[in-house]
Amino acid sequence: MNIKLLSAAVGLACISATAHAEIRINGFASIVAGQTLDDNTSLYGYDDDISYKNESMFALQLSSDLQDGLSATAQIVARGNEDFDAEFEWAYVSYQINDDLKVSGGKMRIPFYRYSDFLDVGYAYRWVRPPQSVYSFAFSTYEGLNLLHNTTLGDWDSSVQVIYGSFEDTVPSGAGAMPEDIKLNDLMGVNWTVSYDWFSARAAYLVAETSINASSVTGLTAALNGYGLSNQANNLLINKDDGSFFGLGISVDYDSFLFDAEYTEIEVTDSLLPDQTQYYASIGYRLDEWTLHLTYESNDDEHDSNRLNTVPVSITGPNNTVVPVSLDPTNANSPLLKDLTNQVYLGAKQESSTVTVGARYDFHPSAAFKIDLSRFNDDVTDQDIDVLAVAIDLVF
Amino acid sequence: MKKLVSICLLCVSAYTSAEVAVIVNPNNNNALDKGVISKIYLGKTKSYADGGKIKAVGQKGTAVAKEFTQNVVGKSSSQFKAYWSKLIFTGKGTPPDPLASDQAVIDFVASNPQGIGYIDSAKVTDAVKVIGKF
Repeated sequence: MNIKLLSAAVGLACISATAHAEIRINGFASIVAGQTLDDNTSLYGYDDDISYKNESMFALQLSSDLQDGLSATAQIVARGNEDFDAEFEWAYVSYQINDDLKVSGGKMRIPFYRYSDFLDVGYAYRWVRPPQSVYSFAFSTYEGLNLLHNTTLGDWDSSVQVIYGSFEDTVPSGAGAMPEDIKLNDLMGVNWTVSYDWFSARAAYLVAETSINASSVTGLTAALNGYGLSNQANNLLINKDDGSFFGLGISVDYDSFLFDAEYTEIEVTDSLLPDQTQYYASIGYRLDEWTLHLTYESNDDEHDSNRLNTVPVSITGPNNTVVPVSLDPTNANSPLLKDLTNQVYLGAKQESSTVTVGARYDFHPSAAFKIDLSRFNDDVTDQDIDVLAVAIDLVF
Repeated sequence: MKKLVSICLLCVSAYTSAEVAVIVNPNNNNALDKGVISKIYLGKTKSYADGGKIKAVGQKGTAVAKEFTQNVVGKSSSQFKAYWSKLIFTGKGTPPDPLASDQAVIDFVASNPQGIGYIDSAKVTDAVKVIGKF
């Protein structure tokens, strides 16, 4: 994959060289140090030992204007939590059809959120990291096409983006969990941003046929299938299920006052993934080179209660015998599959809120210093986790 | 200490005396007000009223650049940089080329019929046309 992209980039470089186009190099970097403040806690990839690597990253972007509206761009990102292995995060070719319309093809960011496109460019926002309750997706790029339409309506600017493509990768599914294969097919989405001087609003909707190998339930689904309960098994598996994402956001940058809020809903029907609702609201105040901010986030994942108790306690076997639906029907004490299935659905419940206070200091024209203190509260276990992080974000 | 004070005074005077002139090629007859100039430097307006493709240049970290972004675009240097970093790293735009000096901007605008730039208003020459002072 990497080698293929690399050769593609080399190819692009050759094309540009023959066309005598210049290659523009831009870059950005974040050096972040952070840790949790209590023993045996972990959050955002940190534990109670200070890490300089977890959220640090370095990126270079090569872009070349091939004239007549054609351009090629590649962004190479090295992340500390991947041992600074450099990877192509973006690699695409764009064609500017006219002043308003641009089409791009290649590997690009999935535009879920307001900050999705520049998620890695810490210099572009005030936090050390965007609110994680909302910005929760581990995967973030897709391969495909996107069409961008920018226009002006009086004093308002409008930007509509339509995407189509697919995604396939193996990503960590959470702290300590086994990596899972994720596959999104027929990924389609549209988002619309309108802005007026100090105000902007955005809406996004995406759908995809979603498959994730849910290794934690393979035993249970095999047992369900053994009883012929394939519907119930399929309702656990994440196999070609309809996934949808809906997001709304607003942003205000008026004089010294900043306000941002986003609301998101994620659903993968008939799977073990719960319906997810997230939001954050954040205020900021600019004081010369300083920006002070306060953010509240909330995450709520839950299955509808009608999904419980769909597995029968027993089935009727040959000669009208009643067979218990359990892991081991010969053992009367064996757990019922109904209870195990309910546990999966109930166990998916997550409820949390996070409060972050922080400051950004623009100490240099190309660099900002940031400090954020976040308190995450798990409402299910009633556990608090505090994370303190300081960062230097640069663009060059 | 005395030296420091005089350096500071120098800075202050250099800072306050810089009136910014926005310049175009003498053959450019498009009317451009502050709002349009701001949109050009934010990458939102890409063509002149007569249909010509705009070629905007800026200045690299000079006092004039700071004055221009503050007075015309209404953003601090770091806000302006943050704004453009969002567009650069998402392939949505390329900022006006930052040139090294007033003279470099004059040379560019004088030789590009569709060029636009800004300079210290004291440095204006006949090779360019001033469309506004801020």
